[in-house]
Amino acid sequence: MTQLTKGANAPVNASQPVVRVRFAPSGPVAEIDVSAFLLQGSGKVSGDTDMVFYGQPEGPGGAVRLTSQNAPAAGGVKETTFSVSLGAMPAGVEKVAVTATIHGAGRGVSFSQVASLEVAVLDGGSTVVTYPVETAGMVETALILGELYLRNGQWKFRAVGQGFAGGLKPLAESFGVSVDDEPEPAPPPQPAPSARPPSVPRVGAASTGNSGAAPAAAPSINLSKVTLTKERKSIDLTKKASGGYGEVRINLNWNRNQAPPSGGGGFFGFGKPKGVDLDLGCLFELADGRKGAVQALGDSFGYFDGPPYVQLSADDRTGQSADGEWLRINGRHWDEIRRVLVYAFIYEGAPNWAATDGVVTVYAPDQPPVEVRLDETSNMGMCAVTLVENVGGQMRVSREIKYFQNHKPMDEAYGWGMRWTRGSK
Amino acid sequence: MGVSLSKGGNVSLSKEAPGLTNVIVGLGWDPRATDGAEFDLDASIFLVKDDGKVRSDQDFIFYNNKIGGDGSVEHTGDNRSGEGEGDDEQVKVDLSKLPAEVKKLVFCVTIHEGESRKQSFGQVSNAFIRVMNAAGGAEIARYDLSEDASVETAMIFGEVYRHGDEWKFKAVGQGFAGGLGPLAKHHGVNVG
Repeated sequence: MTQLTKGANAPVNASQPVVRVRFAPSGPVAEIDVSAFLLQGSGKVSGDTDMVFYGQPEGPGGAVRLTSQNAPAAGGVKETTFSVSLGAMPAGVEKVAVTATIHGAGRGVSFSQVASLEVAVLDGGSTVVTYPVETAGMVETALILGELYLRNGQWKFRAVGQGFAGGLKPLAESFGVSVDDEPEPAPPPQPAPSARPPSVPRVGAASTGNSGAAPAAAPSINLSKVTLTKERKSIDLTKKASGGYGEVRINLNWNRNQAPPSGGGGFFGFGKPKGVDLDLGCLFELADGRKGAVQALGDSFGYFDGPPYVQLSADDRTGQSADGEWLRINGRHWDEIRRVLVYAFIYEGAPNWAATDGVVTVYAPDQPPVEVRLDETSNMGMCAVTLVENVGGQMRVSREIKYFQNHKPMDEAYGWGMRWTRGSK
Repeated sequence: MGVSLSKGGNVSLSKEAPGLTNVIVGLGWDPRATDGAEFDLDASIFLVKDDGKVRSDQDFIFYNNKIGGDGSVEHTGDNRSGEGEGDDEQVKVDLSKLPAEVKKLVFCVTIHEGESRKQSFGQVSNAFIRVMNAAGGAEIARYDLSEDASVETAMIFGEVYRHGDEWKFKAVGQGFAGGLGPLAKHHGVNVG
């Protein structure tokens, strides 16, 4: 393993390296957004698909894929990984810059507040190159951590550790991605949900001088991510131009490897500490009044192409899958759906919600991802996380975070009106 | 476009440009694209004898001593930030007037306050050295050394040296620990 200092470089001989970014969350910096830019010899992107980030997790040809993001890892750090296939790199791409920005950096917040930040290149699980970034004294809020680059037919990795105090905008612009600021929306006058989606920075590739290429409406990458909180409870998603919502994917992800609590079990076991298994499910109600639940318990996986137009991907009890569990809503039939209540429940083990660090994210086509964090604690095993409801044809996503003993009281609290008996999977 | 050298490579200037008497050696690099202290790079030249030492301190040419070699070598000035096209610093050399005792011109670049600013050559993009024929300005040889640079704050970019009756240029690309002071001492300069 080669440990690099700022400015140094090392060869990368792996054909399918993984680039991993780890950081230690702190009070002011709970999350960082990690992106990869595929750059031409000019140091610029060729188009807006050359930016790989949470809003566009796969680059052209699948050469660079975002495979995990801010996933909890050992030692209390969070990690983001990219799988890179150097052989599949589009022609003309000579460099892949890996960057980090502080999500929603407030006044006075910069990378100097991140105690530990490291970028590494791995090959088949073993670390080839690592670069611990010296963050002390940094005023930057957007950093180029490192770059994979092609030199005389050889891919190499350089420790960069330089960036911008002005955040994502100057960073993206340095790579030829233009960012148009839009003013932040005024806060809604009432606690009622706002009637329109927030404006977000729109990002498109700046004209890179493609001869004859139409300077079509470039903006298409949406950099924004919406986090619903107690203060900002809901968002209405905009329909696609074609009408409808397309495939809306809902993800539940959580920390499976949290350290065993002190005084608890785990010291006598071998191997990895047993993590908590969360299950994702939902209650649905269709426009015609049909109701039901979609969840692994009871093998009610739902159906995507027909009613209830909601489907759960296979249960991942082992936690092997890095990206958690997925529900899909068929947004083309949104007018046939009245509401969907997304919940997480702990089927086995103590309901230690805080340790799971769970997050539900709603991905709708052409929309910023909407995040709801399971950031409250309860000794009850069921949590209503997100309500997705049809409000005059619009899709409204709301944060719930309400805990219940089981399905029945949750059903009653939301007036679903179903009969519940115990089941097992 | 001249001969492009890689690290360690050399070329005969006299053969590439017959009748060559005056050369301009250009050094360049990109300005910093990111936020933070600019990269302030300084070129210095040591005119050394067979033993690798200067004849006198006058043959150490840098920002505080722009002319040496009895007037045959002139450093035309410092560009602090690397902005603008082409060379950031240029050195004019009249080969025909170089004192016979001088066998080699060593071209070095150091990063001003590199260590305190935690800057190194690995952070500087597109650093190069090139040799041009002063008559007509044609480029004879060039060495792009960005890739050979890493954590160094002082580097020997290249050398122009006598080889029999010829003048040759060698792409060196070697770091030198400690910066300008130790580099000057190494070449026999009395540094206070």
